[in-house]
Amino acid sequence: MSAREVDDTLDLSGVPCPANAARALLRIEGMDSGSVLAVILDDGEPIRNVPPALEAEGHKELSRAQEKGRWRLVVRRGG
Amino acid sequence: MIYLDNAATTRPDPAVLAAMARAEEDFGNASSVHRLGVAAAKAVERARAALAQALSARPEEIVFTSGGTEANNLALKGAALARGRRGQIVVSAVEHPSVLEPARALQRLGWGLKVVGADRDGLVDPAAVAAALSSRTVLVSVMHANNEVGTLQPLAEIGRLCRRRGILFHTDASQSFTKEPLDPRRLGADLVTLSGHKIHGPKGVGALYVRAGVQLEPLLHGGGQEGGLRSGTYNTAGILGFGAAVALAQASDARRMRGLRDRLQARLGALIPGLRSNGHPRRRVCGILSVTLPKARSTELLQALSSAGVCVSAGSACAAAAEHPSHVLLAMGRSAEQAGRSLRLSLSRWTTAADVERAARLIAKLAGGRR
Repeated sequence: MSAREVDDTLDLSGVPCPANAARALLRIEGMDSGSVLAVILDDGEPIRNVPPALEAEGHKELSRAQEKGRWRLVVRRGG
Repeated sequence: MIYLDNAATTRPDPAVLAAMARAEEDFGNASSVHRLGVAAAKAVERARAALAQALSARPEEIVFTSGGTEANNLALKGAALARGRRGQIVVSAVEHPSVLEPARALQRLGWGLKVVGADRDGLVDPAAVAAALSSRTVLVSVMHANNEVGTLQPLAEIGRLCRRRGILFHTDASQSFTKEPLDPRRLGADLVTLSGHKIHGPKGVGALYVRAGVQLEPLLHGGGQEGGLRSGTYNTAGILGFGAAVALAQASDARRMRGLRDRLQARLGALIPGLRSNGHPRRRVCGILSVTLPKARSTELLQALSSAGVCVSAGSACAAAAEHPSHVLLAMGRSAEQAGRSLRLSLSRWTTAADVERAARLIAKLAGGRR
């Protein structure tokens, strides 16, 4: 998904677990239902832990891609 | 009871207590990655965002601590230890002991220490700070609002001269946070101390604003919480209570407190001939009034007022307990005897006009003034 198709981007590189998941949740919960958020995450624990934390709150992962050693996770806000 | 010791501590707001109770029920560790942990971390991050917003700062620039004392220690010792070699610290003579004592501790370790004086209103002259700086100066610490007399220091001027010299600037804003405009970037402050229990939040929680890019050595090593700057399991109840207190604070509270403080000052002045106010007449935080009485000794008056249901302080809470003359009043040119006749009256957003009138009459009666 290109940068133009997301409503907001949150760079969480360097933010440890679970503060990264917490900040991603706070950001997406401040968006309208159906909005799309891109989250930049470090490799390792962040990309393992953050997507399930977002899914557990009803948000849907649309895509993930690795860019320069970091991950770009794209999520649609749930109900 | 009339409580006029809000510079010592404030009564927690019911919404703060409710937030704390919820945090204790949702007991997850904010460092755990499971669902309960994420929920706790989310609440912590919401509180962090509230503090950051109040300072026009970024959330990652807020480091939660156990209170203002720890934040002040982290600022001074953390900046000094991160430097790697000994240098010099500059502080004002009217700082809280939690700044003065870490500065003296560093001095015992071989650091240079310059203490800049204050004028009769408790104001620190930026020119005097400039004169104290040297090529070895690593950090300057000058508080925002003085905790005993309320004088607001010229932070922007001090911040500018520190910035020009590449020196870190720390300010203890424990007494002014949410009561006075506080934007660290505008003030040129690299480090800012905040306290929870001065703003109807809980005791045992504070924070240090650390401008992005500033290097500090942690005081507590361990699990690496708070970006490695403050290890230790999150005090979620305290942090959530602090966040709730910040969210509740309103600019109108400060305007109201200032009006009532000025009325208290006027009533005491009218009822007690010879009463003298301490602190800057205009540049003063909204809730603090320090007065020197013409005759009565403050330690005895404090007890008499307490028996009559009015809680005030002689100087700061700590100085009242230690019975030492206030170092702040001494630095402002008062004698130890004058300091011993001084009272600090500090208001909150819950202080009423009736409280002020009753307290003024009681103080006047017990201090030998008109009734």
